[in-house]
Amino acid sequence: METGLESLLRYGPVAINLGLRGFAESLFRQGAQVVHVDWTPPADIDDETAAILDKLL
Amino acid sequence: MTRNGEMTSDVAVRKNQYYDSVFLMSVASRMLKEPGVADAAALMGTEGNQQMLVEMGFDPVRVGEATAHDLVVALRGKGEAVRTILADLDSWLERKEGSLSTPSASSWDEARRRQPGSNIAVVSVPGRHAAREAHAALDAGMNVFLFSDHVSVEDELALKKKASQAGLIVMGPDCGTAIVAGMGIGFANAIRRGPVGVVASSGTGLQEFTTLIHRAGSGISHALGTGGRDLSDAIGGLSTQAALRALEADRSTQAIAVLSKPPGARTLRALMAALADCRKPVVVCLLGLTEAELPHGGRFKVARTVDEAASLALQLTGGRLPVPPRSSAEVTEVLSREVALMNEGQKYIRGLFAGGTLCYESQQILRDQALTVHSNAPLPDLLRLSDARASVEHTLVDMGADEFTEGRPHPMIDASQRSARIRAEGRDPQVAVLLLDVILGYGAADDPAGDLVEAIRDAKGEAERRGGHLAVLASVCGTDSDPQGLEKQEAALRDVGVLLFRSNAQATLAARELVSRIDERRG
Repeated sequence: METGLESLLRYGPVAINLGLRGFAESLFRQGAQVVHVDWTPPADIDDETAAILDKLL
Repeated sequence: MTRNGEMTSDVAVRKNQYYDSVFLMSVASRMLKEPGVADAAALMGTEGNQQMLVEMGFDPVRVGEATAHDLVVALRGKGEAVRTILADLDSWLERKEGSLSTPSASSWDEARRRQPGSNIAVVSVPGRHAAREAHAALDAGMNVFLFSDHVSVEDELALKKKASQAGLIVMGPDCGTAIVAGMGIGFANAIRRGPVGVVASSGTGLQEFTTLIHRAGSGISHALGTGGRDLSDAIGGLSTQAALRALEADRSTQAIAVLSKPPGARTLRALMAALADCRKPVVVCLLGLTEAELPHGGRFKVARTVDEAASLALQLTGGRLPVPPRSSAEVTEVLSREVALMNEGQKYIRGLFAGGTLCYESQQILRDQALTVHSNAPLPDLLRLSDARASVEHTLVDMGADEFTEGRPHPMIDASQRSARIRAEGRDPQVAVLLLDVILGYGAADDPAGDLVEAIRDAKGEAERRGGHLAVLASVCGTDSDPQGLEKQEAALRDVGVLLFRSNAQATLAARELVSRIDERRG
């Protein structure tokens, strides 16, 4: 069976971009499918709480 | 606000306004170009950034008002210039036109709903948040291109183990470049599709390799980055191995190149075993190793430089690198003419690089040619500069290293630090040759060559005023399809007397030859 990586190479990137907007823009300009996420840093919580929240949400 | 003669410095804090670091650097870079502005920084108010602003001499009380969620703009310069910018800060923070057309979502979940079938997450959030986002992407069955740096080895290993078990790849952390099915991700060039696949632990090495393949008329199936630590024994080459297997299975890939700095001993053995088993022809280029340390006896071909790796990969797929525009006899003649114009005291090479791997490659070439070289990012057995900002004898500087880029734009994006250094080297009467790389492509500056020409002209002028001559040797890493246009960029450099070479390796060899001519002249 084809792995997720092999499938990426075969069909090309369908990308979600988190962070630098310029990376989404240049993918878009090249004709790639991309959605940019307006990412902002999460509230200041410690890593342990973040892990618990990740599990709950 | 503090006053020091005519100079003023001021700090503005905008609460709960988040911008990405590259955008903020572009804002600071535009501010620096305003007349009367001596220093400008636009940063999120993290602890590290606050400390840096204080070290830059900005008011600790004002800087301390910010938190990691707040934007800080700090300016120094003539009072009027500083006041005008801060009064109109909103318009400085507006994004350029064109950015609105890219589809966007307010959350990760919304993005996945809008675009089902997403197969890769491109993650460039600040390092401390990067592992969490990358885990979320892997859990959703997506591959990850992880541009962020400052991700711990433990996090990297956990991510790569998870990816490996799921048949996915994590390219990174600190991965600058990839090309997947013709689409450049991160800092990539516009490269034709073709039969050569490549796996690389370095961004600029991958850019240099892919542009050389393109310029020879061939093309790239996929170029997969792995992050600089992937082949360390701590990580064990998990992403490199995954990339190799995928390229081996990929129908569009006929030959595979592997580019890396020296791997860990255990990982090197495992890599060699994997390469020996590979059913497709393979070229390996492990920069930094000495001739004696190179692997031998495998079925794969071994290249010393990125240029040679491209040449071998082309041979394996039925192409070849184009004949250089000048024969070696012509190069010798041109270099001899340069040397004839120089003063007695001119003898040293100063390499100022935007590409870290290109700096590394040049060190290896000069070391192999028996030249002692200093660097801020030295090969394991070379000399480390005690101060990255002060050259010593033959010096090669990686201007993309942390000491130059903490809170400041990378030289691929902004030429101001490199221009200043070019001028500084021009004032040193012992400098004979400047060695430069100019990197084009998505993400790089709009006019990387144009941004350097004034400084090059000044440095050459300085040498001429002393009755000497400064040779400037360069290579442009780019293609005719790049947004900046290779031909236009090369023409701008040629117009100010820069001698251009096909690759960084060729330019470095010419710099070495030039030093040999100088030595011959001195007898």
